[in-house]
Parts: sequence; structure tokens; C-alpha cells
Amino acid sequence: MSRWRPTPAEERWLEVVSALGAALPRDALVTRTGGWRSTGLLARVALFVLGFVAAALLFGILGLGNRINLLVAGLIAVLVAEWLTVRKRLHASGIEEGLGVAGFLLIGAWITTLIPPGADLLGAPPHTLVLVAAAGAAGFRRLNSLVTTCAAILFVHWVGSTTVAHSLDQAIGRGVTALALGCALAALALALGARAFRRPSHDRMLDWLVITLPIAAYAQHATWNFVAGGIVDVAAPSGRLATSVLLLALGTALLVAGLRRRRHAPLLGFMGCVACLAVELRLNTALATETWLVLCGLAALFTGVALARYLRQPRNGLTSAALTDRDDPLDLLQTAGAALLAQRTAQDLSSPEPTFTPGGGRFGGGGASGSY
Amino acid sequence: MHSLEPELRSLHAEGVIDDATAARALVRDRGQVFSLHTELRVTLYAGVLLVMAGVGIVLARNLERIGPIAIVLAVALVAVACAIPAVRAKLAGRALTVTSDYLLLLAVLLGSANLAYAERQFTLLGPWWSWHLLLLAVVHAAVAYAFGSPLVLAASLTALAGWFGVGGTLGDALQFSYTSPELGARALVCAAVIAAWRYVDRRTRPDTRFSDVFDHFATNLAFWGTITWCLEWPWLAAGLPLLAALSYASVLRGLNAGREAFLVYGVGYAAIGLCAAVLPRIHGITPSLGFALVVVSVAAATLWQLRRRLRAPVP
Repeated sequence: MSRWRPTPAEERWLEVVSALGAALPRDALVTRTGGWRSTGLLARVALFVLGFVAAALLFGILGLGNRINLLVAGLIAVLVAEWLTVRKRLHASGIEEGLGVAGFLLIGAWITTLIPPGADLLGAPPHTLVLVAAAGAAGFRRLNSLVTTCAAILFVHWVGSTTVAHSLDQAIGRGVTALALGCALAALALALGARAFRRPSHDRMLDWLVITLPIAAYAQHATWNFVAGGIVDVAAPSGRLATSVLLLALGTALLVAGLRRRRHAPLLGFMGCVACLAVELRLNTALATETWLVLCGLAALFTGVALARYLRQPRNGLTSAALTDRDDPLDLLQTAGAALLAQRTAQDLSSPEPTFTPGGGRFGGGGASGSY
Repeated sequence: MHSLEPELRSLHAEGVIDDATAARALVRDRGQVFSLHTELRVTLYAGVLLVMAGVGIVLARNLERIGPIAIVLAVALVAVACAIPAVRAKLAGRALTVTSDYLLLLAVLLGSANLAYAERQFTLLGPWWSWHLLLLAVVHAAVAYAFGSPLVLAASLTALAGWFGVGGTLGDALQFSYTSPELGARALVCAAVIAAWRYVDRRTRPDTRFSDVFDHFATNLAFWGTITWCLEWPWLAAGLPLLAALSYASVLRGLNAGREAFLVYGVGYAAIGLCAAVLPRIHGITPSLGFALVVVSVAAATLWQLRRRLRAPVP
């Protein structure tokens, strides 16, 4: 039993409680979970934000002008987070995570103020690397996969800005070095994911890397293309080919691993690769944007319809049906997503610009627009 | 990859979980049954999003080349085609699948876009154009009830909120302009209408699946409206008590129904509203930030305590 964080055995029991939900009698496993206390997903997110904001406010109260206040505010935030962990035995409850992460970042920001101006590491400012290290340390301390993933993405971004990467980019295409690194790290995470880890949180860290790294690295690559002043003709043909090959190879590996291991992360990572390849298709062809959008949308819809029909009856254990009727945060996201789509259409109606205006009317009834 | 099989077997052997629960959990843990439901929803949502984005550009760019009548007819035809799976399911007496539900949503959104386009081109209602949003809300609601689709109901409620002039984000409600209190009043009226609609729906159809959608819309709109009132005097005098009442109601709803989201709404919006009401009246950065820190700390402690009281078990 550890005072500082759950042991692997305790963390596994916490995972069991989370997986079984209401099927488990309340407080049935208190002794086995070591008395660690957690919360639900939505509350965790809200508490994380509140903890992070609290640390930022603390820095503001101490005074934004003095650099040493970064360190003081950071230390206070980290100490409060540790107190909540050790005394209150909070784990993955949001508040201690928000405070801890913000504290580490504030300390990291203070360290960056000690770096002499103009210093560089491999041709890139080392400040980003310090923040990457701070975020990574916070993520590992809190066993928080979101924070470790953000650190990894920031690291890939930093590598892409080094002179080494720029030299390589000149040979293989703009931004391809960072993309290759992102894909390589995702592939490494995929390979490590095959191992049996004692801590479920380590699995989650790898899962998040597998899902996000390809698309995050590609987004950085795509930004390069847009920033350089064009959508189609920026990257060298070799760069475009390398990008497509990388995404195709990684996507295939993710699909195969996802189906073999029966894990969602590789499959979601595969979907990200497909989305990136669709963007590459747009960049490499003269398709009109609207044609490309409609074609991709139809392809996604047809795939969804075909998959749903094929898996209506479970095949080899695979099914398209939901396995649980538990309250799912995805339902809330789905409702919000539908509202968002509908709102875009509603906005079209809210500000009409008719090509001809027989009545010449500007605003009628209904109180619809909020401006007169 | 980790497996929780030893822990699950141990719980089953000790009689903490019954045979059925243990069997289900073990089958899922080993991957003997694996659901692609999440991936399917993401794919279908992306499909609807992309098609709608593409259609929006088509409607904007290709007027001269194709002609407005042809565009309206073509989009209407595609919308009808998208609704076919849902109609077939309805005729066969089956519930909507996730696929037919999303295709129905696409059909409804295409219908909306078509109506918007037709209104722009032909100004069918002239100066009464804003009533189209109410018309859309009614038509979408009819479709939602006909097919039992919560997704389409969300589209209907969004159109209704649009007709009331309320945007879809908290940022819209927090705009600092002279129309803010009026915007807040409209949001509150809209929330009241949705709450009344929910009440009638619940009374007439006890097995309804729409209550959650109504609840989320009504709660968010009511809080946005109230927070808007908290920004300006004398509306503040009504806004703060209303904020307290709504927060209490939201937390109560969360605790009674075991819904975490309503606890987050109740505590989160209360903190935002309180800061919106008080911070502009505090002079000096340090006292302002100090007050905000106190509010944030109290909100975090309250949310934590309330979450522990929920029926849904957490470690």
C-alpha cells in the first residue's frame, strides 16, 4: 500500500469498480481499492478545469509581473495536489490532477525564464522541451493519459521545429520528419500495447498515443502546407508520397491490431489515418472542395451502413450493437453534435441575403436574430 | 493489454457478483464479444457532417451553373432517399437503428438547408422569414415523434432556440451588449417552453426516450439566460435568485436521477454566474482574482461532495 498513488493491484480493483458500475454493490471493494476515491468522467473533467483555473488564479494573485511567482504558485499548487492525494486519497478525481498539472507547468515556465535569451537546442528553442518535460512528469505522476499525450504531441511539434528536422524536410518534403516521428511513436505505442501491463493507466497512455499521434502529427504537417501559401502545390511529390505511404502503413497496422486484439484505440487510430489520407487525396488531386466533402461524407455513410448491416448478427464476436445501456457520455456528445449541425443550418436561415427582395423587408416577427 | 480476469473470477467466487454479471464481464474482458458501436457512431456523424458541409458549398457556389429549381429538387430528392431506411423500419414496426437514425438526421438537415436556400432565392415569406425557424422546429418535431428519434428532436429544439434568437453557445449568451437582458429573457422563455413540452411529452408518453434531450436543452438555455441577466443591473436582482433556484433544481435533478451532468451544470453555471455578477463590481485585480479563487475552490469542493452522493458507484 502506497501513500502516494494506488499500487498496481489497487488500480486494477479501481478499474473493476469502474467497469462493473451499478452491478457491483456499493462500497463492496473499499478495502481492496486501498480507500482511494475517484469520481465520474464528467465531474472529473469539470474538477480538472476548476483545479487548473485555481492554480492560474493563484499565480495571478501572487502577481503576474514577478518571475519567481511562477515557482511559488507552482509549488503551492503541487503541494495542495499532493496533500489531496496523500491525505484525502484522491486518485483520478480531476481536482488534484488539474492542480498538479498546472503546478508542474508553472514550475516548468519558471525554469524557462532561467534559460538565457537566444539559447537553442538543435536549432529550436529549448523552452518547449522544458514544458514537455514538465507536462510529461505531471502526467506520469498523476497517471493521466491526456496529459502524457499532450506532452508527446508537443514533443513531436518541437522535433519538427529543429534544424535537423528542417534539413531532413528539405530532402523528403516539408513536415514529413515530424509526421514520420509521430507515426513511429504511434507504432511503438501500438507494439508496446501488445504487452500485458499491470497498471490499466499505462495501457490507457499507450491507447491515447495510438489514437492521437498520427492525426496530431499530420495536422502539423497540413498546417505547414497551408502556411506555405497553398493547398495543393506546396509539398514536393516525394513528400506527398512519403506521407501517404506512412499513413497507409500505419493505418493498416492499426486496423489489423485493433481487430486482432479487440481494442478500440487502434481502430480509432485507424479512422484518424483514413481521415488524414482523405485530406491527402484532396491535396493531391484537383477535386473541388464541395465534391471532395460530399464524396468523403458519402463514403463514410456507406461504410457505416455496410458495417452496421454486416454486423447486425455478431460475426466472430464482433457486433455493431451497443453492449451496455449504461449512461454514456457519448450520448451527450451525440446530442450536442446534432444540435451543432442543426445550428449551422439555422444560422443560414437567421441572416438571409436574398438575390432579389420583392418586399424589401429586413426583419419580421418572431424575435429571431438578437440584433435589430 | 491488461486483463481483469483474475479480479473478476475472484469476485465471482466470493459471491460479490452473480453468474450472469461475471459471465458478461469475462466475455467482454477477453474480447470474445466486441462492439464497434462507438466507431460506427463516429463514422456516421463524420459522414453527416461532411455531406452537410459539401452541400452547403454546393448551394452557395453552383447557383448559376445548375439553377435554383434544380438544386432545390435535387437536394429534396437526396433528403427523401436518406429517409428511406427510417421509413422502412417504421413500416416494419422496428425501432430505428443507429444507421437509420443518422440517415434520418441527414435527411432532416438537408431539408433544412433546402428550405434555407429556397427562402434565400425566392423569399417565400418575405419579411416573415424568421418564422421559417419555427416551421422547421415543428416539422422536425413531427419527424422526431413519427420515428422516435432523439437526434432529430435535438435538431428541432435547436431550430426552436434559433427562432427565439438564442445562439447555440454560452458565448452567445455572454455577449456584452445592450440587448443582453432581452437575449436572456428570450433564452428563459425558450427554456420554459421546452420544459413545458417535456412535461406534456412525459405525461402523454410515459415510455418516452426524449426526456434527456429536453432536460439538457432546457437546463443549458435557462442557465445561459440567467447568467446573461447576472451581467447587468437591475436584471441582476432577478438573475441571482433565479441562478440559485436553477442550480438547486439542477443539483436535485442530478441527485434524484443519478445524472452526473446535472450536478456539473448546477455547480459550474452557479460559479460562472456568481463571477459574472460580482467580478465587474470589485475594484482591483488582486481582490477580483481572490474572489474568483474562492468561488472556484468552493465550487470544486461542492461538486466533489455532491458527486460522492450520487447513486452511481464510484471508487
